[in-house]
Amino acid sequence: MTLQVTAESVVQAVKEKTPILEYYSPSDRRLYLTVAKEAIRTVADMLFNGLNARYLISSGTDRRQTDGYFEVLHFFAFDRSNLRVGVRCLLNPEDLEIDSITSVIPGAGWAEREIQDLLGIRFVGHPDPRPLVLPDGFPEDLYPLRKDYPYDYKPPLDPNKKFPFKEPPADTTVVTVGPFFPVLEEPSQWRLFVDGEVVVGCDYRGFYNHRAIEKLGDSVLTYNQACLLAERICGICGCVHSTSYCQAVEEAAGIEVPVRARVIRSLILELERIHSHLLWLGLACHIIGFDYGFMQSWRIREPIMWLAEYLTGSRKHFSINLVGGVRRDIGPDQFERILSVTGQVEKQFLELVEAIEGDTVLRSRLEDVGILTPEEVRKMGSVGPTARGSGVAIDARKDHPYAAYDLLDFTVVTHDGCDNLARTLVRIGEIFESLKIMRQCVDLLSELPEGELLGEIPDEIPPLKEGMHAVEAPRGEVFHYVLTGYDNRPYRWKVRAPSYQNIQTVPVMLKPGTFLADVPITLGSVDPCFSCTERMEIVDQAKSHSYVLEEQDLIDLSRKRYLKLKEQRGKAHDQV
Amino acid sequence: MIKSKIKQLLIGKQAGTVTLPYPFSPRPSEPGYRGRVVVDTDKCVGCGGCADVCPARCILITDESPFIRIIRRYLDRCIHCGRCEDVCIYDAVHLDGEYELATTDRSDLFIEQVLFMGTCSRCGRCYIPPNPLDRLMVVGFRKDEKWSGQR
Repeated sequence: MTLQVTAESVVQAVKEKTPILEYYSPSDRRLYLTVAKEAIRTVADMLFNGLNARYLISSGTDRRQTDGYFEVLHFFAFDRSNLRVGVRCLLNPEDLEIDSITSVIPGAGWAEREIQDLLGIRFVGHPDPRPLVLPDGFPEDLYPLRKDYPYDYKPPLDPNKKFPFKEPPADTTVVTVGPFFPVLEEPSQWRLFVDGEVVVGCDYRGFYNHRAIEKLGDSVLTYNQACLLAERICGICGCVHSTSYCQAVEEAAGIEVPVRARVIRSLILELERIHSHLLWLGLACHIIGFDYGFMQSWRIREPIMWLAEYLTGSRKHFSINLVGGVRRDIGPDQFERILSVTGQVEKQFLELVEAIEGDTVLRSRLEDVGILTPEEVRKMGSVGPTARGSGVAIDARKDHPYAAYDLLDFTVVTHDGCDNLARTLVRIGEIFESLKIMRQCVDLLSELPEGELLGEIPDEIPPLKEGMHAVEAPRGEVFHYVLTGYDNRPYRWKVRAPSYQNIQTVPVMLKPGTFLADVPITLGSVDPCFSCTERMEIVDQAKSHSYVLEEQDLIDLSRKRYLKLKEQRGKAHDQV
Repeated sequence: MIKSKIKQLLIGKQAGTVTLPYPFSPRPSEPGYRGRVVVDTDKCVGCGGCADVCPARCILITDESPFIRIIRRYLDRCIHCGRCEDVCIYDAVHLDGEYELATTDRSDLFIEQVLFMGTCSRCGRCYIPPNPLDRLMVVGFRKDEKWSGQR
C-alpha cells in the first residue's frame, strides 16, 4: 500500500486497459477522467484492485441543461499519495443503462441504488437493485433529482405498495430492531434473522426521513446559504459538513483562505470531535447497561459544550464557516478559557479512563464482538474509527491535509483488535489527540497576526467548475463534491456522510453466529446517524390485544393533541 | 475488578451532583449567543438584505404599493444562523441571548413589519427617506391616508 501514484501514472495505467475520452487535472491532487460507459467496470476494477485505490462514493448528475447528458461519477482516493480521482461516464438520455461496479466494489451498493432511485439510471448487474432512498409507493416514472422535477413537488404516494423486504432463510425467526429502538440514537429498521439466540442474517431499511438537502442545494440555495444548510445535515457533527462544503467550493472557484481562518476551522473541528466522541462513549456504555460510564462521560462533555457556545454562539450548530473563511475570530481573551477547559477535560477524562479500563464486565461485552477485518474494511469502504479500529490507518487529516492540519503535529490512533473494544479505544485515544491539537491551535493563533478572516471572493463564481473535498469527521470521512452552476449557485452538490459507508458495513460485522444480545452494541459501535419512523404498535396489556397505528393515525393523534394544547393555552391567556 | 469499581466510586463521589436545577433557576446563555431574533423597526430601512441571505428563507418581502413594503419574518423556521445580523448595515437585526422560545402557537414567532417607503422619482422603486421629517411626508404614514394597516 506504500506505492506512490501520481495523476500521470493513473492516466497511464488506465490507458493501458481502455482509451480515455478526456481527462484533466486541476491540481496535482485531483484528476478527472472520462471513459466510455462500457469500460467502467474494467476501470473501477483496475483502480480498486490493481492500484489499491479506496472507493469513496458515486454521484449522478442530470447535465441535460449544459451538455445534454446524464453523468455518473465514481470517486476514488489514493490515501498515501494525497490524490483523488473522479471517473466520469456520460450517458445518452435515451439510453440510461450502465454496468454496475458493485460486483467489483461491494461498498458501492448503496450509492448506485440511490442514483437509480433519484435519477432513473439503471445499473446492469447490481446484486440488490431494490429501492433505497425513496419512500414506499413513490410513483415509478418520477425521478426527484432530475432538473425538471420541481424542488417543492410532493407526489401522491401509493399506500398499498410495501417495501420488498428480504425473505428470511428457512427455520429462522425475524426479530425487528427499530425503527424505534431504545438504544439507537436515531431510528432505523433492522430485520434480524434469528435461529435461537444466534443471528444468521439481516436486512436493513432506512432513509425514512430523507430530507432532500442535495436537491435544495441544486435548485434554490446560493453558495453561502447552502453552507449553513450543510451544517444542519447532522445534529452531532455539523461543522465538518460545512467545512467540507466550503473547501469544495473554494477549490472549484480558486479562493484562497487566510491562515488564521484555517486555524480557527481546525480548532472548532477538534472541539466537535471531542464532544462527539464523549457523547458516543456515553451512549456505548448506556447500550451495554453500564450507566456509570454514560453519566460520567456526559458530565465531562458538558464544559466542552459551554465552550463551544462561548466561542461560536451556539452549543451545536456553530455556523462559523462561510465560503472563503470563518465568521468569528477567536481572540487572546478567549485563549485562557480554551486552555482551562481542555486541561480540565483531559484530567477528568484520564481519571475516568484509568478507572473503567480495568472493568472486566465492560471488557467482556466489547472484546471479540463485531469483528471487522481489514479486508472487509477495504471492500466496504468503511471510514473513520470503524476502519482505524481494524488497523487501517486512513485519516483525511494526515492523508489529504486541509484547514491547518499541515501545520499541526498529531498522530493517527489505530488499533489492531478489529472488534468493538478496538473501536472504543481508538475513539478514546482520539479525544486525547484532539485536546493536544486544540492547544496547538491556540499557540498558532497567538503567534499569527490579527487580520482578515474571509478570503478574496469573486463577485460571481465561474460556472461548471468542479471541486471535491473531504474532512475527517468524528465518525469518519465526510466527502463533498460541488459542481458550480449558473446564476452564482451550485449546479450539483453531492454529500457523502461517513455513516453511509459504515452502516453498509454492519451486515458484515453481524457475522453468522453473533448473539442477539451483542447486536445493539455492534450497531452502536459504528456510531450510526440517521432519521425517523413511519408507524408504531400499541399493545394493551389489560385487554391483551394489540393494534397498529399507521402513519395517518399518528398524524391525526398529534394534531388532536396540538389543538387541545392550544385550547388550554388560550384559557390560560384569558385568565391572565 | 474491585480496584476499578472503587476508583469509579471515588470519581463519582468527587464530582457529586452536577445537574443544574434548570428550569427552577435561570441558566443565562454565554455572551454572543445567537438566540431570539429582535428587529429594531426604527432602524430598518427595508433594503431586504436579510431576506437575500436567509438560508431558511423565512423572511418574505412584499411590496403592497409603491409606498408600502411589508417584511414578514416566520421565525418558527429560523435556524438562528445570524446571517441577517451580519449583513444588516444599519444594525436593525440582533440575535439576543434569549433561548426559551418553545411555543404551541406558531404566530408567537411571527413578526410583520410594515414600512412606509418613499418612491425614487427616477427608477420608481421604494426606499426609506433618510430624514425623519421626510418620512412623515410619505403617503400612508398617517392612518387616515391610503393605507389603514397598523404599524
